[in-house]
Amino acid sequence: MATVTQRTPATEFHKRLIMLAGLAVVVMAVLFVQLARLTVVQGAAHRHEAETVLDRRTYLPTYRGRILDRHGRVLARDQASYDIAVAYPVITGEWAVEQAEREARRQVGGAWTEMTDAQQQDVIGRTLPEFRAKEQALFDAICDLGQITPVELDERLNAIRRRVQRMAAEVWENQRLAEIDRLGGDPKNFEFEPRPIAEQVEAHTVLTDVPDETAFEFMLLVEDEPSMLEVRDARRRVNPIAEQVVTLDRSTLPRPVRSDSTSLIHVHGVLDHVLGGMRGEVWKEDVDRRPFRLGGGEVDLGGYRRGDSVGSTGLERVFEDHLRGLRGMINERRDTGERTRTEPTPGKDLRLTIDAVLQGKVQALLSNGFGLTRVQPWHHNQVLPLGTPLNAAAVVIEVETGEVLAMASMPTVAMGAQMTDTQRRYERPFIDRTVEAVYPPGSIIKPLVLLAGASEHEFNLGSTIACNGKYFEDRTRPRCWIYREVHGFQSHGPLTAEDAIARSCNIFFYTLADRMEMETLLKWYDFYGIGRRIDVGVSYMVSGEDGARIPAGQVAGHLPTFEDAQRWRMDGQYDYNTLIMGIGQGPLTWTPMHAANAYATLARGGAVRDATIIADDLSDDEPARQPPMPITSRAVDAALEGLRRSVTESYGTSNHIRYDDLSTEPMMNAEGVTVWCKTGTAQAPLIDLNRDGEIDESEQQRRLDHAWCVGLVGPAGSNRPLHAFAVIVEHGGSGGRVAGPVANQIIHVLQEEGYLPGANTAGTSTTADATGGGGAP
Amino acid sequence: MSQLSVLERMLEKRRAGITPADLHERVRSLHKHGLKVGTPAWLCLGAALGLSLLGIAAISTTETAIAAKQLVLLGLGLFAAAVAATPNMRWLQIMAYPLLILSLLLLVFVLIPQVPESIVRPRNNARRWINLVVFDFQPSELAKIAYVMALACYFKKNRNYRTLRGLVPLLVVTFVPMGLIVVEPDLGTAMVFLPTMFAMLIAAGGKVRHVLLIVALGLVLAPSMYPLLKPHQKDRIKAMIAQSTGDERYVNDIGFQGDRAMMLVGSGGVFGNGRTHAADLVSFNRLPEEHNDMIFAVICCRWGAVGALLTWAMFGLFAIGALLTAATSRDAFGRLVPVGLTAIVLTQMIVNTGMTIGVLPITGMTLPFVSAGGSSLLASWLMVGLLVGIGLRRTRAVTRESRIFGAGDDAQQ
Repeated sequence: MATVTQRTPATEFHKRLIMLAGLAVVVMAVLFVQLARLTVVQGAAHRHEAETVLDRRTYLPTYRGRILDRHGRVLARDQASYDIAVAYPVITGEWAVEQAEREARRQVGGAWTEMTDAQQQDVIGRTLPEFRAKEQALFDAICDLGQITPVELDERLNAIRRRVQRMAAEVWENQRLAEIDRLGGDPKNFEFEPRPIAEQVEAHTVLTDVPDETAFEFMLLVEDEPSMLEVRDARRRVNPIAEQVVTLDRSTLPRPVRSDSTSLIHVHGVLDHVLGGMRGEVWKEDVDRRPFRLGGGEVDLGGYRRGDSVGSTGLERVFEDHLRGLRGMINERRDTGERTRTEPTPGKDLRLTIDAVLQGKVQALLSNGFGLTRVQPWHHNQVLPLGTPLNAAAVVIEVETGEVLAMASMPTVAMGAQMTDTQRRYERPFIDRTVEAVYPPGSIIKPLVLLAGASEHEFNLGSTIACNGKYFEDRTRPRCWIYREVHGFQSHGPLTAEDAIARSCNIFFYTLADRMEMETLLKWYDFYGIGRRIDVGVSYMVSGEDGARIPAGQVAGHLPTFEDAQRWRMDGQYDYNTLIMGIGQGPLTWTPMHAANAYATLARGGAVRDATIIADDLSDDEPARQPPMPITSRAVDAALEGLRRSVTESYGTSNHIRYDDLSTEPMMNAEGVTVWCKTGTAQAPLIDLNRDGEIDESEQQRRLDHAWCVGLVGPAGSNRPLHAFAVIVEHGGSGGRVAGPVANQIIHVLQEEGYLPGANTAGTSTTADATGGGGAP
Repeated sequence: MSQLSVLERMLEKRRAGITPADLHERVRSLHKHGLKVGTPAWLCLGAALGLSLLGIAAISTTETAIAAKQLVLLGLGLFAAAVAATPNMRWLQIMAYPLLILSLLLLVFVLIPQVPESIVRPRNNARRWINLVVFDFQPSELAKIAYVMALACYFKKNRNYRTLRGLVPLLVVTFVPMGLIVVEPDLGTAMVFLPTMFAMLIAAGGKVRHVLLIVALGLVLAPSMYPLLKPHQKDRIKAMIAQSTGDERYVNDIGFQGDRAMMLVGSGGVFGNGRTHAADLVSFNRLPEEHNDMIFAVICCRWGAVGALLTWAMFGLFAIGALLTAATSRDAFGRLVPVGLTAIVLTQMIVNTGMTIGVLPITGMTLPFVSAGGSSLLASWLMVGLLVGIGLRRTRAVTRESRIFGAGDDAQQ
């Protein structure tokens, strides 16, 4: 049958056709799914993204919030100014050649391509002088308006050329290697065509900080050649109070440096550790943390993009998000021409508890120029020659509120900027000694140990403990400071708690510590804040190597743990460590801020209120309060009485300074105030500061102990201290005679600034004038 | 007739379905009793016309001048189709090998560096085009068609392709034009030859397991060919992999085209953006090759998924028309040429739209009928002409025993 013969062969072919068609359908199914995904599922997002290019956006700069002191004085603010940037081709002279060629082509017209090279060069040669003249006119204007000499301008332009060339060479080499890596081939004969890097096209700043009128003149100058020059909006962060000339009274100083005149002290970098600074470049971390482009065409107006400045240290860093504003935006639709304008939102101000004038004065009196932080005769310094400058730090806290009025650390960051690397290694100017440097508490811990011992009922107030000079019958150490050859191996005899503080008897506090045992002592020290980061507002987190968040900006100090105590019980160091921790030695460290804070806590009768420099309450959550300790008011009274006697009684360690001729002068001489004060000595270990593996002479000289003077001050006749202060003078030698006169001057300036009654120096005009405005160029 | 028996009959019919044989018979009877000029190849012509007009409309979105030129070229294309439809199949078979040799010579010609730039002007370092004043002629387009015709002749005359050894000359013949096109370089066009060959081999009755074996071998060897690729080709593969894994590293360089294309396809949504808005989106997003290789992105942007589906549907119609033409043809040549041409068109369509929506790497491949460009359009219309010619000339005298699927066929017995 014909039909059969026709059908049979046909069937297999048709099956195969269907098979092929089926294959096509399967492939198309994949495409269909993808199409559905793009258009239906992600359609809206893609449309949004595609439409963003229709927006032409111009961003408007914003102002960063100001930082203000407690009286509203401006400590840091943005100042509008302009930078004048010259296009790189103008700097290299290529601009004129390019323009000349373009002009030549324009003049010749269509015949240009038929001309020989020589003919072309000839025409270019005729058009070139005009553009060379324009270049020269621009450079003349820069010298003229920017008030720089042609030589200076040449130096600046050369510096730019060198920098860009170096950069280009580096970029090209990397690109070349990447190309070779990608394409393979012989690195020696590899053909690589370098393309200009961005810096070879962009404009480079030649004049900075140009006022409005000058900027405007530049704009007019290049009106017909806008490609030559850019007038850039360059907001600058200025610290108007950073440079201060402070007038200090010298009439209350110790005799050798006393005079009836006043001193003009120029302080560089008032509060600069705390305020911190900005960096002009945006890092990857910033963009990762808060990107400007959010994807899908969305932008975060507060996000980071190239050219932004970012708080890099101090409060500028900690409060970056608070201070940073939102830039503005003008959005113009390219298809419809519709314009929308979002005004910039300035950053929020940050108000501090610091008093800028007091801060300036405290820094001034810590300056080496004033004299108190140089080795003086009454220091009896055995190691350093007279006049050797000493580094120091001081903190002043308002007792009631815990507000920090001043925190001064010398040398300042600004001073450090002038130092050599070697100097920086020794002087460590970038460390804020009030919160970032730790010292053993030494004797200043004693009133706090009394408070603990009495409150724990390990000592009955009113009874006495006898000082025999040494703690153990059969051993000379640990001993009292007075039980030494220079003092003829004396002892204090039976002492009340108050006199024990005033005389700073070691045996008394060894006994208290021994009675309490280390664990109780540790509990109390923890309560006082040792080993805890008292966040005054300058601590922040940084990313460690393993990505962990590490706190920085402020240190916690060291307090042994219960596990350490347990270990010492095993290896026999327990008793010794307990005793020496009772006088603030051994494995204990804290900062001057800790010390002032602990004394403020004592003055408040044990109410913990962490010191802070931030006046506005910005934290969302209340910080975890320490559990109250069972403090008895009698113990507080006894501790304060001891501190008072230390100043008022002739046997007190804060009572007087003694000169070589054995004559004495009172250490605290402010009238109308009561001072509760304790001096102390913090042992300074020998440190290989320059890390060369040996202790050289310069490091040897830093073996002397640090001098503490910590205390409270209030109106005369009152038993309520208003302010707590802590002073440390590094490597100044033993205790009160070095740091005490500094503390005394702090009390005087507190009086001058009206924080304490009875200024005995009311006559002197001690105003600090802020040389604000420009800021350091 | 009882209710039940009607249902039973319907059920029976459903079970039997429409077998390919039925289909064949039905179309044949349609032809016997209906119009003499009735051929499914008209479907191809209709689809091609629709696609060409759609293409011109799409091109006019951003490039009205090019669209106008394309309209002229379409007229030229129709003329070319008419010319291609004129010779009968015997002539076509006679012309097949000489045509292949001619196109191979032209492929060699474009590669000769001494040829002056006025004749062969390289673009982006590729030597693919011969300047014919009106448009640039791309010999590879001609080569594809000549290859299909020659292959059909080869299958008709030889039967050894059912053995593995018989496949060797086939592969060799395929690799000559492919190799020349790869050197141009135009990897995309070169790759079209393989699916075309496989499709024709399968249709001709080649053993499926041979095809699978070669494909498997190719897949195994493909990674080892990767180092031989040109840097820009590697980049495109890298970019596509990055794109499909959501890696935005290359969005601004080697992945730019793909990223923009996908975004614009997506932006069309279901119903599209309309002409002016689509034009704004396409031009402001700086989509490269928007009237050419990337025309599908413009279609999607302007008419949305609906436009994309319509495009695909017209290609489907074209394929159906061509495959029906093959199905109703009685001659091996007439059966295989439509299959080969369909394979070319569908492969190009799949590669082009696939790369536009991001499932395949970017390669320089036009969308047949739709993309702007003389060579592509003319070649596509030549195919339509061939299909119509074949459709109109079904051999009346029934070949009793088709050379395809002769006795001893293993598939059936």
